Amino acid sequence: MSAAHEDDGWVDRLRDPTQQPEALEQLRTLLLRGLRRAFLSKAGDDAFVEDVTQDALVRILDRLDQFEGRSRFTTWAMSIAVRLATSQLRRKHTQDISLDGLTGSNSLKIEFADDSAEKPSAGIERTSLLGKLQELIEDRLTDRQRWAIQALLNGVPIEEIARRTESNPNAVYKLVHDARARLKHGFEQAGYTADDLVGLSH
Amino acid sequence: MSLTQDQISILMQLVAETTPDELDCTGCLDQLAEFAETHLAGRPLSDALAEVQIHMKNCPCCEHEFQSFLEALQGIADDAP
Repeated sequence: MSAAHEDDGWVDRLRDPTQQPEALEQLRTLLLRGLRRAFLSKAGDDAFVEDVTQDALVRILDRLDQFEGRSRFTTWAMSIAVRLATSQLRRKHTQDISLDGLTGSNSLKIEFADDSAEKPSAGIERTSLLGKLQELIEDRLTDRQRWAIQALLNGVPIEEIARRTESNPNAVYKLVHDARARLKHGFEQAGYTADDLVGLSH
Repeated sequence: MSLTQDQISILMQLVAETTPDELDCTGCLDQLAEFAETHLAGRPLSDALAEVQIHMKNCPCCEHEFQSFLEALQGIADDAP
């Protein structure tokens, strides 16, 4: 357990009506610097950074009681601002991505590359492993798990999957985690180790 | 719908690294400030923060957010008087 950090008086100043305006302005300046560095090129618009900073200040004030001193206050505050900026940017960038092409598919087929010409024995092992993966995907996973994995592997953020399915990121993460655990258990039952699986990915 | 070779490799890596009790996204992001300071200072990770690292290996969204967070912190550090 790390020692609690001093908050340099930020919490008291933000709670004190006479000091709050100045403290808020200082915090606003700090958040703007950080968000511009991390998001200006991605968002392409300073108005985005300004808006997120304003939203972040409101959220930070709402959550002052939750600051536990496990990091510096400004680091904690910046994490809240980055959370907001990331969420808004993801929504902006993924709103045009259609998941329709994924929703009707329950099969999730594996493409077998013909690499046996290069190294015959490795090719056989690879084919065997991929065959097992295909079998486990079909037999052990639910339709929702297959779909979520497919969406993730197609680059759709968990947060966006959650929004589109009226779920939440933790539930989607758990859905995918359970799927990974089922696949791993299936491989272990078949005598494969984690190293065998990683070996396939290189 | 088919998986490409690259997607299969990513999936196999994710399956290989699966552990029974992984932190979820909320648990990861709640500790991101402490994790970032520890990471930037080069200090060893506590068991709790090691869980954050494991989660980020399996969650591209949280990893991506962490990288943005580091950039933002760098922005403050660079402009500090």
